[in-house]
Amino acid sequence: MAGSVIGELEGLGSLGREMGRRARQDGLMLIWRAQVREVRHVLVRDGRPEDTSHTSSSGHGVHVFTDEGRTALASRDDFAPETAIDLLRRAANAARRSAALGSRSSALPQLDPVVESAIPASAEAFDRLDLSLLSARLAEIEREVAGKVAGVSLRVSFLADLDGWRIMRSDGTDVTFVMPRCVLRLGATSTGRDGTHGVGVAISGPDPGLPWDDAEVAVFLRRAIRAAQLARDLPDAPAHPAGSFPLVIDYALAKGLAHEAFGHAAEADGFRSSILAADGRFRSGERVGPSHVSIVDEPVAGDHAWQPFSANGIRRERAVVVDHGRLRDGLSDPWSASEGGVRLTGSARAGSFRAPPLPRMSNIRIEVDDPLAAPGSFDDYGPAEVRDLLVSAGILKRHPRVVFLSGYSGGQVNTATGDFVFNCKAIYELSGDGVRLHKPAIFSGSMFGALGAIREAFGPLVLDALGTCGKWGQSVPSSGGSHYFLFLEPDPLVRIGGKD
Amino acid sequence: MGIALERWIEAVRSGRPGGVGAEAWSVYAVERRRLSIGTRDGATGNAHTPLRVSESLAARYVVAWEDGKISRGSLERRQIADDPDAALERARDAAYVDPDAARVSGPARFPDVELHDDRVVGLIDGDLDLVGRRLARVRETLAANDFGTWSGSIAAAESRSRLVTSIGLDVEDRATSAGWHVSFDGEWGDGFSARSLDDEPAFELRLNRAAEIVRLLGQPQPAMPPGVHPVVVHPHVVERLFMATLLQSLEGSSVAHGDGFFKLDEFGSDRPALRDDLSLTLDPTKPLRNGSYRFTAEGVPAGRCELVSNGCLRTPILDLKYANRLGLDPTPVPYGMDTLDLGASESVSESNAYAMAEGGALILSVLGVHTLDPASGDFSLSAPQALILGSGGPQGRIRTTISGNIFAVLRDKTLHLVRYPNEPTPGLLFPCHLNPT
Repeated sequence: MAGSVIGELEGLGSLGREMGRRARQDGLMLIWRAQVREVRHVLVRDGRPEDTSHTSSSGHGVHVFTDEGRTALASRDDFAPETAIDLLRRAANAARRSAALGSRSSALPQLDPVVESAIPASAEAFDRLDLSLLSARLAEIEREVAGKVAGVSLRVSFLADLDGWRIMRSDGTDVTFVMPRCVLRLGATSTGRDGTHGVGVAISGPDPGLPWDDAEVAVFLRRAIRAAQLARDLPDAPAHPAGSFPLVIDYALAKGLAHEAFGHAAEADGFRSSILAADGRFRSGERVGPSHVSIVDEPVAGDHAWQPFSANGIRRERAVVVDHGRLRDGLSDPWSASEGGVRLTGSARAGSFRAPPLPRMSNIRIEVDDPLAAPGSFDDYGPAEVRDLLVSAGILKRHPRVVFLSGYSGGQVNTATGDFVFNCKAIYELSGDGVRLHKPAIFSGSMFGALGAIREAFGPLVLDALGTCGKWGQSVPSSGGSHYFLFLEPDPLVRIGGKD
Repeated sequence: MGIALERWIEAVRSGRPGGVGAEAWSVYAVERRRLSIGTRDGATGNAHTPLRVSESLAARYVVAWEDGKISRGSLERRQIADDPDAALERARDAAYVDPDAARVSGPARFPDVELHDDRVVGLIDGDLDLVGRRLARVRETLAANDFGTWSGSIAAAESRSRLVTSIGLDVEDRATSAGWHVSFDGEWGDGFSARSLDDEPAFELRLNRAAEIVRLLGQPQPAMPPGVHPVVVHPHVVERLFMATLLQSLEGSSVAHGDGFFKLDEFGSDRPALRDDLSLTLDPTKPLRNGSYRFTAEGVPAGRCELVSNGCLRTPILDLKYANRLGLDPTPVPYGMDTLDLGASESVSESNAYAMAEGGALILSVLGVHTLDPASGDFSLSAPQALILGSGGPQGRIRTTISGNIFAVLRDKTLHLVRYPNEPTPGLLFPCHLNPT
């Protein structure tokens, strides 16, 4: 039996075709976006459920383009045929009237029709998720962490989000994709002599059976216990001095660097003001970093930010934003590619059926040529083991003190100026004397300075650092990573905040 | 005509999913229509910023079941109108034990609060002249200042809401909202949002001030050395950094679980948690503010509520669940910063503040607020849009990081609140650690 989200999307074909037929009749190009989404969420604290919910949201967006290149988007939260047809009429009127507001006319893109679907096997399991059993399982996980780290306030949550889309265009395109996303999360908070601190940790996967997957839960528990210990220790840790330092960042922070510093500036809808563009066109071919460093964005199967088609019904392609130090691809959609001087990569995503799609990242990573070995899994590395890696690579001889930024807790960029900022979960000072914990502080600076500072990488790629991107008020899942660890030489344009 | 919730209400009254009926329930529905248009890098109404019209109907419900379990969640239009029985079964499937959340409100006296402006309705109905005039003024300002580009948006919405409970509450309301935002050269911007449109002089004042600030940001100045300097933090930053953190720390859930900055035993104590002349008052009965309302989604009447007075914590912000858990009365909740009043025994004018902070900096925006840990109050942020304060006020641009602790600032004896024209939130003047880059 098809799952409820999938079944609903499958039943929308005739409405979508009728909308397309009427649009063609009126001389309009139509992109019709239907979304059906089901979200199940359980939060457990102190061994009992604090919140449990199962919500659904659905509706459609009618995005029309007149033959003069004017556009409007009308949306409503149901699929009733009569109101849908009325919505099309109102969208067409709005598009025609927008000329009076000085709206910009854009040439209609010539696109190849696409008829495809992508529905991962795990999507059907969402309907079988029992929230009572889930609550009990999360309570077990919370107990296990609490048993290892006392005196810390814990909350464990699980989110199962099944996000289904059907995109139909008046040119015959009919694309269906369903994105299964599950996140198991722990938050730990502790109060010490010098204040209160919170630390979060999460793992993700496409299968709602994640909390019962022994291997995944083992990884989660390892990270959760470490996070709880960190929450316990941080309140009494000193602040780190501000300034420029030799740095080690983990793959989650490297994802933050790629996403905030370069990814956003490579989004082609912003080329009129992006530091990576001149006169609205991407500075393809220009050197922006060392020749051993590349930045790649592409949807990865099973990943938190996987989206195989754009919200305009175009297959999403791999984009090499920085190819061995030189700019190569922007992240583009049909309305920004040619104007921005980049190839079409089908990168548009929308936060919901109500929102206009914008070029954005999916899974973005920093790749470094010839990384140094880091045996075992990423989770085998605490700060002491990272210090051992630096010793074996001779880095602690080059720099007697190295600052290790661990864990990512969000970031932001100004694409016009190239200023970026992100925060970590903890700072460790690594030296010949050992390891010393400091409170987290902001890592900020110039994107070119940061990319140029990357020298060594350790270990294979890990691409599961997850987050949420809030570009222009639209939230979509993001993810990415890099090698286990990257080493950055000190650069005056890259600084840690904090106190002198 | 009110929102038709009767099918859902009938389903809750008569339904017995899994053989269990509802003992108490509430449902709060909002039906909204909205119009907006955006501009990105000078392109108004293109594929990324189209003229948008949208319609929505959604509801939040609480069902307290006979077996002591409760269900809380949301309903979408189709569930409310067409399929309430299936939605109720789903709600029952998600039921859990949480006795504190089982409370619903009864009838009460709700204050009259002005929430609706017919001019906003005209805009949603297609009278776009005002939008056209304002877009034209922004384009004129862009040209007059020789800026390269601008981005922004204008939006208007009308909503109807209805709250019904099993113990006799049935109340409705109508409200509008409108707002705009403009930024120049991707650097800095300003805007306004409320339940009514701002008038033309207020619009002009904000637009011209934004242009003046961006003009100054185009003039780099040598920065001061790293260290502690006087800073004036603009009201935009105060809202995003200071007020947001303060509100999060006052939230009932954070207080009840003990994982916020303020602990339960600090509330009601005579020992100040902030400087002893600081106050924070919520008043959602102010007319036509963004955060104005007559009743919360749970049926708590709007009213003036002292959260902090004389530096002492008076009450956490309590919805029904956390009021139950803590054995306290529920409070109104803040729906917007413009119904909160951060006050002190004295405040200074904007120009006086700039004079007092000469040699320091005006912080206009910060990057990375959402990355901070609100439980600690520590901040360490990049402020790429900052102006050095000279003898005549703001002079030219510096880039810096700022660091400190929000709660330490709010306890600082040398802190001054700074009144800005047309801003409900004050700026703050205090000594702050700066690391110019």
